[in-house]
Amino acid sequence: MKKLNISKKSIITFFASQIAIVVVIFILFDLIPVTREYGTISDKVRERGENTTARLSKEQSNLIDMVRINEHHESYLRNALKLSKIDSISLLIDLRDSLAILSLKGVSIFESKISRIQINNGLKKLPDFLRDSLYSGPLQSIEDISSIEKFPIVVKKPAKDTSEVNKTEAAPTIPKQNDVFVLMAFDNNMVIEIDQQESKLAGSWLAHMKYKRQHSGWFLSKNIKSLFGSGQRGYIYQLKIEIPREDAGSIYRALPIKPFVLVRY
Amino acid sequence: MEKPEKKNILLILLAFFITVCVIFLCLAKSQTLKEVAISFYSYRDSPGDLAQKDSVQLTRQIKETQRRISVLQKRIENLSPTTPYLIINTTKNTFVLRTKKSIIREGICSTGSYILLDAGDGQQWIFKTPKGQLRILGKRTNPVWIKPDWAFIEENLPVPSINDPDRLEPGSLGDYALSLGDGYMIHGTLYQRFLGLPVTHGCVRLGDDDLKTVYENMEIGSKVFIF
Repeated sequence: MKKLNISKKSIITFFASQIAIVVVIFILFDLIPVTREYGTISDKVRERGENTTARLSKEQSNLIDMVRINEHHESYLRNALKLSKIDSISLLIDLRDSLAILSLKGVSIFESKISRIQINNGLKKLPDFLRDSLYSGPLQSIEDISSIEKFPIVVKKPAKDTSEVNKTEAAPTIPKQNDVFVLMAFDNNMVIEIDQQESKLAGSWLAHMKYKRQHSGWFLSKNIKSLFGSGQRGYIYQLKIEIPREDAGSIYRALPIKPFVLVRY
Repeated sequence: MEKPEKKNILLILLAFFITVCVIFLCLAKSQTLKEVAISFYSYRDSPGDLAQKDSVQLTRQIKETQRRISVLQKRIENLSPTTPYLIINTTKNTFVLRTKKSIIREGICSTGSYILLDAGDGQQWIFKTPKGQLRILGKRTNPVWIKPDWAFIEENLPVPSINDPDRLEPGSLGDYALSLGDGYMIHGTLYQRFLGLPVTHGCVRLGDDDLKTVYENMEIGSKVFIF
């Protein structure tokens, strides 16, 4: 067999070109949009005032934090009260108490303990006052993707005869187990994800892969849109919570198509 | 001109394929790369007007906010019904009968199957339990089910006239029925083994003992929250 004749130089050139491609893509598609977003947020911070924490004593700084925490709690409760006036079910996510709550007319109708909270870098780095005012809500979801249907409708024709009726009455169709992963997107470039805490899949691996494809496809299309659409922001703020599978399903199916969500950090 | 070797062409194609894959991977993982990009930056936190205040003023502000928080918490608490109310989870097929302070009873129930009965000729029924805040509009003991049209169509039987006695079916709703309006009820069932499953035509079915407790605790006007 004839040996492949690849020079060392061509191998180095090839790998160098691949690294260059990655760097160029990173700068064009990631670093520049993020810098733009950083500029927007920095402007908002500047609008608030030029004072820095460096000039404050530790005690004063702690007290200011306490004021913020309490004011954020107050605004969360005020918004919860506001949401109690609407007729549909809203989702309240209390990260401090680790609770996901369904609220209808101000009555807490369902609570689920959050086992894991993940906040992405952008949301973590935001100054608290901006995060509390811009990303706590009430936010109205504009679209969602999920691994389960909102309405698990099954179409059925009338029975052909009495034996078919008896068969159905003897053993109804038991709903199949599905894994629950939900992504809700909001118009302020924020997404909230509700994932099942169970790592072992209850449903099929294929269905899970289908959701993962949809999930990454959604981010890909958002990122591409942000490159070409004027007025589109280039960074997505992400909050992910994990709760038991059945609770996640109950919450997703209970919420209306474009639900209101409130977050307490 | 020298003809390029087959192997060289293959190598060029492989290099091209790898390059395309790298570009695609970079785009697909854009969100992760953005996380890397944002880690280069940090914002200057601005305390704003709060920086002008001294410790005494800040402490006073905290106390005032906490007082307002207590008032708001009370107001939210007061939104819960003062009389017993029922919460039904149609996904898990469970119920909780409770008061503002405690749970009276909880257990399994059966709710709408989400079956869409397509009888043809544009006739369709969807068997789902209505969601939202409802109220008990009526209470009955030993209820008799007046079978609607779909109950006959579903079994492929001829639909009788409105007042036909064939429509009356005593016993199948259990000992009690609590009406929620629009034909929806909370009632008992002959099919106790199906409790916990979504098998109904939209009504809420409870086990015998649960139904008795619900009937005894819920008054006309009591709230039922279904989600």
